[in-house]
Order: sequence, then structure tokens, then C-alpha cells
Amino acid sequence: MIWAKEETLAREEIEKIQLDRLKETAAYIYEKSAPYRKKMDEAGVKPEDIQSLDDLEKMPFTYKSDFRDNYPMGLFAVDKKDLVRFHASSGTTGKPTVVGYTKKDLTVWLNNVARIACMGGATPEDVCQIAFGYGTFTGALGLHGGLETLGASVIPMSSGNTNKQIMFMQDMETTLLVATPSYALHLGEEIRNRGLDPANDLKIRIGLFGGEGMTEAMRDEMHKVWGDQFVCTQNYGMSELCGPGVSGECTELCGMHINEDWFIPEIIDPETGEVLPEGELGELVVTCLGKEALPLVRYRTGDLTRLDYAPCRCGRTTVRMENLSGRADDMLVIRGVNVFPTQIEEVLLKIEEIGPHYEILVERKNRLDVMTITVELIDDRLLDSYTKLSELEKRIKANLKSMLGLATNIKLVAPYSLQRFEGKARRVTDLRKDGL
Amino acid sequence: MIKQLSVFVENRPGSLMDVTNALTEAHINIRAVASFDTPEFAILRLVVDKAEDAKSYLTSKGFVVRVHDVMGVELIDQKGNLNHMLKILADGEISINYIYSFVIRAEKAPVMVFSTDDYEQAEQILKGAGVKIIEDSEL
Repeated sequence: MIWAKEETLAREEIEKIQLDRLKETAAYIYEKSAPYRKKMDEAGVKPEDIQSLDDLEKMPFTYKSDFRDNYPMGLFAVDKKDLVRFHASSGTTGKPTVVGYTKKDLTVWLNNVARIACMGGATPEDVCQIAFGYGTFTGALGLHGGLETLGASVIPMSSGNTNKQIMFMQDMETTLLVATPSYALHLGEEIRNRGLDPANDLKIRIGLFGGEGMTEAMRDEMHKVWGDQFVCTQNYGMSELCGPGVSGECTELCGMHINEDWFIPEIIDPETGEVLPEGELGELVVTCLGKEALPLVRYRTGDLTRLDYAPCRCGRTTVRMENLSGRADDMLVIRGVNVFPTQIEEVLLKIEEIGPHYEILVERKNRLDVMTITVELIDDRLLDSYTKLSELEKRIKANLKSMLGLATNIKLVAPYSLQRFEGKARRVTDLRKDGL
Repeated sequence: MIKQLSVFVENRPGSLMDVTNALTEAHINIRAVASFDTPEFAILRLVVDKAEDAKSYLTSKGFVVRVHDVMGVELIDQKGNLNHMLKILADGEISINYIYSFVIRAEKAPVMVFSTDDYEQAEQILKGAGVKIIEDSEL
């Protein structure tokens, strides 16, 4: 089932919509948003310079740091009274990235999510269990609203509490699971450990995965755990762009269809900022169209991918982005949460009992991400007792938890035992292979 | 009171030797040593002949070192004597954080070293019971 006719338009029709909306967006941000007007003036571009889609290149990029510099609502283009929803995600330093929606933004967003749910095989008959963490993150409420828009029924379970997840899955006869792929694998294994076979004992048939990338190795594993009947797709989005609903895999599994009437994708060289020819691997840059509360032009996502404009066997004509090949920056995705090493550094530097050097190790244990941060002890006063040392560990963990929203392991080591770097420090070791 | 060194050591082969090696380089004589392990790290407790010299040398070698006072008590080498001393402390409601003994003390009585949160009270009780408290100079 295809949700919207805009997903099947001829290329020139899609481009016509994009150009009309791009012109409107350029005029809108120039008028309504002081930070954008400043950026455009600095780049020497006026709204009337946008006469073709190629003219998009003239527009300045927007970066995650623009959110920080304009925290909390400086990038917003509407009055607070016109907003109906806020979401927030972890920021690069200290403050979260705050995003807002008008009533129209919310409708567009949730319709886009309904589209990607359909791409993944969802129908109005589905009973959908949402195992994303609720709260200010866009994932849970995005899929929640999108699936309701589709007419499916939603169980807002939130993440964790495996026993309860399984109970609802059995008693409510859940047919569709929304989760991060790693949590879905964990949950599936727990179900098998209880002697249940998801293929025969449960009604589950669809997995809509997001929050972190799903590799092909993970998809194979997903079928082993959940059974061959399980249709699992992934979808893509980020809170700055709206949340989930930017793109999603259809059941042909040949890349994620971008909702092109609302998002214009470009692939650029992350070093030079130059737009790369079709099919080349580079950083995904997205321009949101028609967004009222928080218009976003040429947003540097930091995600590496390539684009394929060939029409798909599913009948959709929208461009497909390949499954992500990594990051242009050093962002980590830990249990679906975006983590920048600079955030960790900021917490550690405020703790005077430890030194400024640190190492981050990311592993996947029992399907779940585990992050261990090694720090050097420098304060001899803590050697009075083990209690003082363990209190320090607890304090570091608590501070990181409040910054990242994630539990971490802390390892204390002697001073000078961590490697020193002369050039760019390589402090992160990610041992997750193929996401398994 | 006796000066004790506490040194942070990681749980890996050779980490204790790194400390003793540095002390040997600095011509420091080790008189007692104790360590209790945890999964990740340990605090090595040492009594040495020149505590401040040892600390500055170890610190220059990159160790985290603390010098603090602990109580040393001389015991006559007879059955039940440790028990006797511990009973005195227990009766006085003194809680012991950790305790260890001197390994070798040529021709002198054995010494127990312990840490507590209330040295004043501990000293009073032990002295009252006739137990000999040792100072650095007597080691």
C-alpha cells in the first residue's frame, strides 16, 4: 500500500513541487528568521536568486551548531503561540537541540511517518507496539502519531521492561514492533529464551526499525530470531528535520525512499562542501520544504550515504538513499541515542579528581550497546578508602547520565596510562561489527 | 602514629612491581605492604622508611600517592594477642577500616597497622589497656 500520490509522481512533477516549495521556503526564512537572513546576506543570496533547483547550491548550509548558537528557539520562524509541540534531542554541548511544530507541521510530519509505515508493510489493521523510549525524543511520538494517522492501533509501551513487552505482545496480539534494531534482537532472543517461537506463538509480522542503522547482517539475524515471516525495514530521520519520516525502506529492500515533496536531499563532499554527482558517496544534506515552525535549509546531517533516482519496483518514484555508511563526524549512536564525544568531554572536564584524558570504548554485549569510559585518577585524597573511589565512579556516571541520558561504565586508571595524541586525538574505539 | 603510603594500582600484571621498582630506584625501604583487590583497581598500602621522599618520587613517576597516618600497635608474639587487641577496640566501639601486619621486623615484636575513623579514641583506649602504640621512629 502506497500512502500518498506524491510518492509516485514523474520526476518533473516532483521537481516542480520541490521548486515551488523551495522558492517559498527561501522567501519565508529570509522574512521570518533573523539568523537565516544573516546567513543569506553573508552568502550574498536573496530569495529571488532561487529560480531552479540547481540554485539551492547558492544557499548557505545549516549546522547542528546553529541550534546551539540560537538555543533554545532562535531558529524558529513563528511565534510561540503558534506552536503545538516541542521535542528535544541531545545537543553537541550541554544544551539539547530543541525543535518545534505548528499544527500544520505536525500534520505533515505524521503523514510522512504514515508513508514510511506503509513502505514497511503496515496497514490500518496492525496492532503496533512502540518500544522506543517516550519523552522528548521524536522517535516514539513520531511513529505513534504516524501509525495512528494510518489507522493502525498503537500500544505506547516505551523501551525496556522486557517481561511486560512480551506479555503485551502475547495478550494484545501485537503484529508490528517499533524499536531500535538492537533492542528488537535482544527482545527476540528473550522471547526465545522463554521457550516461545515468535513465528508460531506470536502474531508479530512487521518490524519498523530506526534510531540507529540496521546492517544487512543485523537483518539476517533478525530473521533468525523472529522468523522468516518477519518483514523488517528501517527508516531514517532526525529531530532537526522533523523526526522519523524523512525516508524509509520499502519491502523491496533497496534503499530508503525520501519523501521528496517535503525534503530535498543533496550529497556533498564533507570536506569541501561541494555537491557530488548522482550515485557518489558523501554527506547527506537535507532541505526541509514547507516547514513553518523550524524551517531548515541545507542541513548538514553528518550521515554518509549515496542517492539512487531510478524508479523502484514497489511503484514509488521517489529517490532512495542507501543504508548509511557511517558518519562524516565523530557522532556515536548508542542504544539509539546520539552521542558526541565532546559531550562526554564536557562532563569529564568538570570533575577535578580526574585528568583531562579519556578513552571511549563501545561494544555490543547481549545485543545491547555498552559504553565504557576510561579516565585517569589524579586526586590522591580519594585513596583514603575504596568508598571514596567508588563514590567518584558513581558521580561520573550520574553526570554522564544527566548529559547523555545513557548509562555508562567508568574505568579508573593511573595517570599517564592513557595514550597521548599529538595531532587529532583518537579517543573512541567502536568494536561493534556489522551492528552485531 | 605511622605514615602510610596509599598508591593507586590497576589490576594488571606487573602493576605492583612498577611501584616496588620505583621505590627501589629511590632507595626506599619497604616495611609492610597490603592490598585488597577489586575487579578494576586496587589501593596498595605501604609503610616505608622515608614516606615523603617515596611520595615525591612515585608522584614524579606518574603514580597517584597519598600519605596519611595510620595506627601501629606492637604486639607480643603470643597466641591470642591480636584477638586481645581487637577486643579492646571492639569494646571501645572503634571500627577498623583495614588492618595488616609487618612481615619482617628483626628481633623486634610484630606490629599490626590499622586504619580507623577515630584515632584519638583508639589511642586512648589502647593506651588505657596498656597496648604499645608505635611511632615511625621506632620502626
